Amino acid sequence: MGLGAYVIRRLLLVIPTVIGVTALIFAVTMILSPETRAMIYIHDVKQLGAIKDIIAMYGLADPPHIQYFRWMQQVLSGNLGWGVTDNAPVLTSILRRLPSTIEIVLPSIPIIILVGIFFGVKAAVHQDRPLDHITRFWAIFGWSLPTFWLAIMLLAIFYGWLGWFPPGVNGMPLGSHSVQYVTATWRDAQGQIHYNWTRYTGFYTIDGLLNGQPGITVDAIKHLVLPTMSLTIIQVALIIRVMRSSMLETLGKNYIITAKAKGLKNSEVINRHARRNALIPVATIAGMLTAGLLTGVIITETIYNIEGLGRWAAKAATGGFGGGTVDIPAVLGFAMFTCLVYVFANLIVDVLYAYLDPRIRLG
Amino acid sequence: MEEYRKSMAPQIKELKFTLRRIKRSPLSIVGIVIILGFSCMALLAPVLAPPVYTDPMAIWRDSFKNEPRPPGSPVLRTDIGLLAMEKGYTVHLWGTAAGSYDIYYGCIWGTITAFRIGLVVTAVALTVGLIIGMISGYYGGVIDEVMMRFTDIIFAFPGLVLCMALVVALPGGISLDLSLFVFAAIIFIAVSLIGPLVLKISGGISVLTGFICSLVFVVLDLYVLHRPPLWAYYIPLNKLDKSLMALTIVGWPGYARLIRGEVLRVKTEDYVEASKAVGCSDLRIMFRHILPNSLYPILITASLDIGGIVLLAAALSFLGLGADQGYADWGQMISYARNFVSVTMKYWYTFFIPGLFIFLFVLGWNLLGDAFRDILDPTLRRR
Repeated sequence: MGLGAYVIRRLLLVIPTVIGVTALIFAVTMILSPETRAMIYIHDVKQLGAIKDIIAMYGLADPPHIQYFRWMQQVLSGNLGWGVTDNAPVLTSILRRLPSTIEIVLPSIPIIILVGIFFGVKAAVHQDRPLDHITRFWAIFGWSLPTFWLAIMLLAIFYGWLGWFPPGVNGMPLGSHSVQYVTATWRDAQGQIHYNWTRYTGFYTIDGLLNGQPGITVDAIKHLVLPTMSLTIIQVALIIRVMRSSMLETLGKNYIITAKAKGLKNSEVINRHARRNALIPVATIAGMLTAGLLTGVIITETIYNIEGLGRWAAKAATGGFGGGTVDIPAVLGFAMFTCLVYVFANLIVDVLYAYLDPRIRLG
Repeated sequence: MEEYRKSMAPQIKELKFTLRRIKRSPLSIVGIVIILGFSCMALLAPVLAPPVYTDPMAIWRDSFKNEPRPPGSPVLRTDIGLLAMEKGYTVHLWGTAAGSYDIYYGCIWGTITAFRIGLVVTAVALTVGLIIGMISGYYGGVIDEVMMRFTDIIFAFPGLVLCMALVVALPGGISLDLSLFVFAAIIFIAVSLIGPLVLKISGGISVLTGFICSLVFVVLDLYVLHRPPLWAYYIPLNKLDKSLMALTIVGWPGYARLIRGEVLRVKTEDYVEASKAVGCSDLRIMFRHILPNSLYPILITASLDIGGIVLLAAALSFLGLGADQGYADWGQMISYARNFVSVTMKYWYTFFIPGLFIFLFVLGWNLLGDAFRDILDPTLRRR
């Protein structure tokens, strides 16, 4: 079948997966008793006496499938519940915090892929020589590092000791419910407060330029270096290992020997023939890469004090870091969002895989 | 004796080759040494760090002050400090964490927690995944489709996210009615035995029917019959137990998929066909022929996974979803450092030392897993 048919078929498969994912998240909620779920709607101690009424009003004791349909209707109309962590609807929280998360994740992806492929190829080509050993050692070393340990160490070295890259991005006040044109304040490194800062995109780097204050863009980039570094260092190890082993396998294939026998330059053989075919298994683990990034983002944002989705989820799950109650709608909203991102990332990877390797489409 | 030695000769040759390859690869030796070192530390924990309280997993503290003290600072002569001094502690060897918990004690006994987390979660996830994967791969058809959709759903979650959601949602305790399990087990065994013995149906089908019957019974009993509980039993779950359960739920689909793939690969081999022709039962084929030939990838994945699970558990503890405060767990000790991130250089020992332990432990298992892969994987062995 052609690429188009494969894409359509793959897209159709997304629907049952998404249904299954939402069902699982819903099942996780159903583990809790109706009283616990009613607690979300209680903002005052005096309301505790009315728990039975709350349960009846929101139908928390109905059979699970009825509650599921009701919940799906709510979700599809955009109501994901109220998050206590931000004191805002869950959907609003997600949309407002998303740019901060994307700001750290987006630069990491090309770095991870390019650096990983480069060193993986080099390690395979110079197999069993010092470069190979160093690269392999680095790959195992990097993969064993706990994310939070690396993040704190980087912070200690580059901020505590050298003072180069500060952590954290000043959080914007989340009072209003509108997502786009929120006038926020920005306090820069010198402590000066800027007013009339309009969040055009939500990305501090881009908004700095759009607001006519490039100094803020530079400042924002300095804040981003450490989080991006801590995300990258661990994930690049995975790409190096997979690229190296896949490259080694490709270099043993017959067509490479033929190419060398024909008299092609070594660099041409590697770059034009071997590397392309070795990239195919790497594309499959790009799905794992997305998962790793989504997981790493939670810890990185918590340590570097970035008000993105990860920090929100961490605060929600632990009840504000050892304070209040657990914010269940927020955790579930985050879980659902992450799942959807992951499902679509896998979809893109599968399509990419089919594009790179025609055998997949025809098989 | 000679006959036996001759028949075992190929296996002995392979074993010697394996040992030679281990000796030739320095990284695998490093991995083995690290893991042995940690095992010794775990076994000798009562000697290296004598427990102060009746529960050895409770890290001793000499005051309720929150500020960490550097390595080498003396133990304070408070009433709780004196308890520790009786057991021989005069100095905080590696300093204190926030809350005045001794770091040295926490790290040594944390080794036991780390082994417990890694081995227990991997063992349970492996067993569950093994059973589901083998049944799914061997019988195929509808069972396979259903199981694989189920694993797909769990795979759609990145690990930490699902763990967080589960730890949040799991109840504080489970109240079981043991009679339910007993009745379900009786029904399962009865139906599974009636099949081959009385009705002459194949063993596999009757086991499956027995399983379905007991499931139906459990569902009916829970929702329809309202029996008074006969042997009620309450199991309280603390946060560490919840995180272990969450990690297991997240871990088993990986093994199920892996084993199913291996079973599909081995199922088409000639010796399996031969066993079927001879009349071996399904169970015998699965455990005597297919499983030993699928073992190596499972072993490799399991040893790599132990490191990964400890990392995930440490991340959960760091966020506050793992062990409780004062419990000897490396991730738990680092979670104190969350509050001191801005003055990290001053209190470096609170996060550096436990983090180093986590890193070395995971490194050891990763090196071991990699070494296993290079040495045991039949396609890479003689490269």
